[in-house]
Amino acid sequence: MAALLELSEVTVQFGGVVAVDRVSLTLDPGEIMALIGPNGAGKTTLFNAIAGNVPVTGGKICFRGREIQNLPVHGIAGCGIRRTFQNGGLFPDLSVIENVLVGLHTAVASRFFGLVLGGVGARRSEREATVRVRALLDQVRLAAIADRPARGLSGGQQRMVEIVRAVAGLPPVLLLDEPAVGLAPPVRAELANLVRRLARENGIGVLLIEHAIELVMRVADRVIVLSEGSKVADGAPEAVRADHAVLEAYLGHG
Amino acid sequence: MLPQLLVSGVANGMLYALIALSMTLVYRATTVLNFGHGDMAMAGAYAGLVFLGFGLPFVVAVPLALLLLFVLGFLVQRFLLRRIMQGPHLALATMALAVGYALRGVARLRWGNQVLNLPRPYPAGAFSIGSVVITTDAVVMCGSVLVLLGVLLLLFRASPLGRTIRAVFQTERGAALVGINVPLLHGMMWGAGAALGAAGGILLAMVVPLTPDMGEWVLVRGFAAMTLGGFGSLPGAVVGGVLLGVAEEVLGFYLNTVFINITAYVVTILVLMVRPRGLFGRRALIRV
Repeated sequence: MAALLELSEVTVQFGGVVAVDRVSLTLDPGEIMALIGPNGAGKTTLFNAIAGNVPVTGGKICFRGREIQNLPVHGIAGCGIRRTFQNGGLFPDLSVIENVLVGLHTAVASRFFGLVLGGVGARRSEREATVRVRALLDQVRLAAIADRPARGLSGGQQRMVEIVRAVAGLPPVLLLDEPAVGLAPPVRAELANLVRRLARENGIGVLLIEHAIELVMRVADRVIVLSEGSKVADGAPEAVRADHAVLEAYLGHG
Repeated sequence: MLPQLLVSGVANGMLYALIALSMTLVYRATTVLNFGHGDMAMAGAYAGLVFLGFGLPFVVAVPLALLLLFVLGFLVQRFLLRRIMQGPHLALATMALAVGYALRGVARLRWGNQVLNLPRPYPAGAFSIGSVVITTDAVVMCGSVLVLLGVLLLLFRASPLGRTIRAVFQTERGAALVGINVPLLHGMMWGAGAALGAAGGILLAMVVPLTPDMGEWVLVRGFAAMTLGGFGSLPGAVVGGVLLGVAEEVLGFYLNTVFINITAYVVTILVLMVRPRGLFGRRALIRV
């Protein structure tokens, strides 16, 4: 059976600079995989390549056995691969709930007439989606700000809203780019619980870039270490933690 | 006299508002100023004339004309503009201008210099409220535009499609990442802009002669209203249109009748010199 997400020898080059160098990995349903490494290691570029934001120079990216590296960004998102950004992925003038709801209406083409004419089916699905999103916002204590515009939220709140938007449609694959940055410790703990629950209960495969090592060790099933675009370690968190060379070079521990 | 001028100005201004709004929709969605927009409005009026010529009733001919222009706008974006969207802004503006001239050329080929009129589906007339004379044309113009504006407002503010459009207006990257087909939406906005422009062309052709050169008149006023309201601002397009209509009437009466024809140019120049952002404009959206 095909893996949920499979990268084979993926390479991304910008001119003469190799940002990602023949990286391979396999992500299974329900698995949480952390991608760590120093700044400039190619982690975010790899995310961008998976999400279609930068062209892949070599190799293949397959989602459930289907090659996706040549699909447009919206096509990849439409497959069910959702990502968050380090900063500013929200629509600033939309309210929090609108930001989340807009992520649930991906098939504009097929639902266009339903949306325009306000058909019974479209209205019902809109109502159901609104109820579900409010419940999700409530779970992460954002219900009180559901109707406020995203523009005025704190950095941590924006990050949580972005995560809620990414997971609201229960995508098969979730790419989280440094989700814990700017979050207070209790909120980080909530985030860790949320990610674990989503993966375990819904079978979402999570690829996580994170510098907060305690979060990585707490939630990840597997850790991949990148350095200068290449994969230098791949294993269970304990194994990577025990690898002194990796710790010294990339985690800052002796 | 002033109340009379205000009423006439508002009636004309509503039409300018519709034209400016349709141009703004296209501009907000794709940051392209459609210099062929006036000619699309002209094409819509001729399309209405052709469908009426088939013996179709007005209520069928007009929606068909709007649909035809929606398809035309969509196809122009899909096949002529999309492939150069990442190119210089000048290339996009030139393409839009060329499409406009091509439409004008087709209209000249078919109708030459004939001066035609789109027959009104209602009796021409007027009534008075106090000393103010109100024509049925003004009532129909204002009523039609208000209905269209109301539908647009509902669509934008209270529908999932409107939310999707507003999302694309704010960040295309973010919209694509949540699965919105941004290129398709660009095409739809060009289609919607052309159809709304066509509605303006049809309303105009019922009260002034329809000629292949009508588009220039439409473009200049739509552009002036957009400039006055602020580029990219939807409420600004409406306010700018109404103010322009009133200014034409008031200046034309109190200064010189020539101002009816040159106010749009004067407003454009003054606003760009004094306050380039217009009344409600945000930071300029520029494709580089």
